[in-house]
Amino acid sequence: MSSERRVIIRTVGLKKQYVMKGVTTDALRGVDVEIYDAEFISVMGPSGSGKSTFFNMIGALDRPTTGRVFIDEVDVAQLTAEELAYVRCHKIGYIFQSYNLVQYMTALENVTTPMVFGGVGPDESRRRGMELLELVGLGDRWHHRPLEMSGGQQQRVAIARSLANQPTVLLCDEPTANLDLHTGQEILDVLRSLNEKKGVTVICATHDHRMMDMCDRLMWIRDGAIERVARRDEVHVEVGSIGEE
Amino acid sequence: MSNVAHKEIKLANQPQLGLGRIFRIAVDGVRYRLFRAAVTVSVIAVAIAFLMNILSESLIKRRLAAGARQELSELRDIHLWAARLTHPSSQEAILADALQEGATIDFVSMLDPADQARFSERAHIAATYLAFFDGLDYDRRRALIHTSRGGAIFDALQDAEGLDAFAARLAEMPAVRFEGTLDVFRAFLDEWPALAAQLNQIIAAHTAAVATLDVARADRTIFTVLAQEGDAFAATVRAAGFQLKPALVSRLREQAQAVLEKQILEGTLSLLESRQFLAQQFDLLPADVSPNDLWHFLEKERHATLYLESIMPLSATLKPFAASRLVELATARREALALERMERLTAGAGGGFLGMGERMGWLLIVSMLVCAIGISNAMLMTVTERFREIATMKCLGALDGFIMLLFVMESCFLGLAGGIVGALLGDLIGFGRMAAVFGVSVFSAVPVSELLSAMGSAIGVGVILAALAAVYPSLKAARLAPMEAMRVE
Repeated sequence: MSSERRVIIRTVGLKKQYVMKGVTTDALRGVDVEIYDAEFISVMGPSGSGKSTFFNMIGALDRPTTGRVFIDEVDVAQLTAEELAYVRCHKIGYIFQSYNLVQYMTALENVTTPMVFGGVGPDESRRRGMELLELVGLGDRWHHRPLEMSGGQQQRVAIARSLANQPTVLLCDEPTANLDLHTGQEILDVLRSLNEKKGVTVICATHDHRMMDMCDRLMWIRDGAIERVARRDEVHVEVGSIGEE
Repeated sequence: MSNVAHKEIKLANQPQLGLGRIFRIAVDGVRYRLFRAAVTVSVIAVAIAFLMNILSESLIKRRLAAGARQELSELRDIHLWAARLTHPSSQEAILADALQEGATIDFVSMLDPADQARFSERAHIAATYLAFFDGLDYDRRRALIHTSRGGAIFDALQDAEGLDAFAARLAEMPAVRFEGTLDVFRAFLDEWPALAAQLNQIIAAHTAAVATLDVARADRTIFTVLAQEGDAFAATVRAAGFQLKPALVSRLREQAQAVLEKQILEGTLSLLESRQFLAQQFDLLPADVSPNDLWHFLEKERHATLYLESIMPLSATLKPFAASRLVELATARREALALERMERLTAGAGGGFLGMGERMGWLLIVSMLVCAIGISNAMLMTVTERFREIATMKCLGALDGFIMLLFVMESCFLGLAGGIVGALLGDLIGFGRMAAVFGVSVFSAVPVSELLSAMGSAIGVGVILAALAAVYPSLKAARLAPMEAMRVE
């Protein structure tokens, strides 16, 4: 079924090299992947595997050394700074391991920040911001600042913020790494339901093995290359055994 | 799962944010880091206070100096006229008169009417050159014009050789800014003999007029004559050819009166009893009593009465005095002394860069530099501290220009706040210092509009300084890669 689905992110021969003090490091050595619309994908890999670099590439945050990244068939390398900012603002939602909320803004202000950048009027962005906060179950905490909230609540605000401009893709960089098991599960549930109800493509970098239970496909990155891509049903037994330990 | 309608990606340029929105975000940023902001503001405030202090002091001094000069020149009217009416003037005195605004040079009217305008114009130029030579230090003056003074300088430069030598020596002094160009000077020198002839004509007329007046006052001093027969004598003076304005006559009369009275009072010091009396009051030896002591003593009416009662029987001349008049004279004398002191203290005001002298100018520049570095440092720290925040904002769609503007604007707020605080502080310190030196008379001499515009420009300097100092940190922030937000500390 997946072969008929629309490709939302495609990379072709993606390579990235970092040059530090004359030493060249290959962070990615030719990655070709296709990610489909409304898919839930987990990207796994040890630290230093090139996972973060891969995320920066498909998130339009950095330019590849060679190769191409297409986000909905748009070549990211061809975009101007303004268009790149537009893509980041409207097409991609980012969720970070350490939430990255702006400390001096209330939850609502944090959520509406991308709308401000996107040029949405104050009334409209306030209305939409409240809707989003209610969606993540924080409708009554809109006036709280990040420091007045727990980690899980902050991450939920961050999720609401990432959804501000109805993005097509959600990029989550270890969204549960800083959370305890229970809150982590809540966040995963929120992501899953977003994926199912709104059809948002979710790409998660994670070490969290629970993620395997709910994703459509898994990717393993090692030494700057895709080591393995598998559908969930193919790895289910293996995951199950780990989860029951 | 795939039944959800696909959202088409339509590319567009990210819109630029309005200034109002950036402004609000910047205000939030400053509010959150109030302590850091306060520190930066105080750095700016100190620098601006320094600038404003210098500005306000020099403005106040300038105003005071102008006021003091004006009042002193009025107080000296009597002495000026006494000299004018009794002694023929010199070339230099006539030329110095020409330089004073509103001065009427006596006996100019005896020149050919066609020549009069030309004369005052030339005299003004000559006086400017003389002022230039007077302003030179001894070595340079000696090198340029040897020991000549006044009109003799121009006489000496009449021959072409002397002038060439002069020009050569002037060229060796790059620090000396000559009035106008040398060609203009040459042209003036060509006209000098004619001007000198006119000056001599005026001097001759003056000498004749003084001789006439000498006959008219018949051995009485000029003060006595002015005090006793003011209007009648003024007519005689005018008839002799002096340009004595009617408005001046009553003032001259009063001042002449005061001069006479002072002479009489100070004359009582020749009595041993008077000296002994004052010596007792001040715990001095009779021989040490000076006119100053006398005047100081007479400033209080009680003392004045006492003095009159003790000394009057001994002196025939003292009778017509009232105690209150003595107090009046003593007070006037004290005020004149204060004015003279003020004139001395403010003599340097108005010179150099912004009227504050070269060294002050340097200090100011250094303080501004230190301030700019301080702001830059504080902004850099803010930027470093907010790496993650900035990167996140860029992930969320902020443009480089927005980040840049955000930080420059933030810095401008600090500059504005620091500028206002500093300007007020500088004013306050300036007032305080000036009041300590010159007394309360400072408050009547506040040049409000000049001070306000100086404050405006001081605040402007603060804002510009802050904006400039923020350019580098803001650039750094704007260039930050958005992927920094992904980094985990």
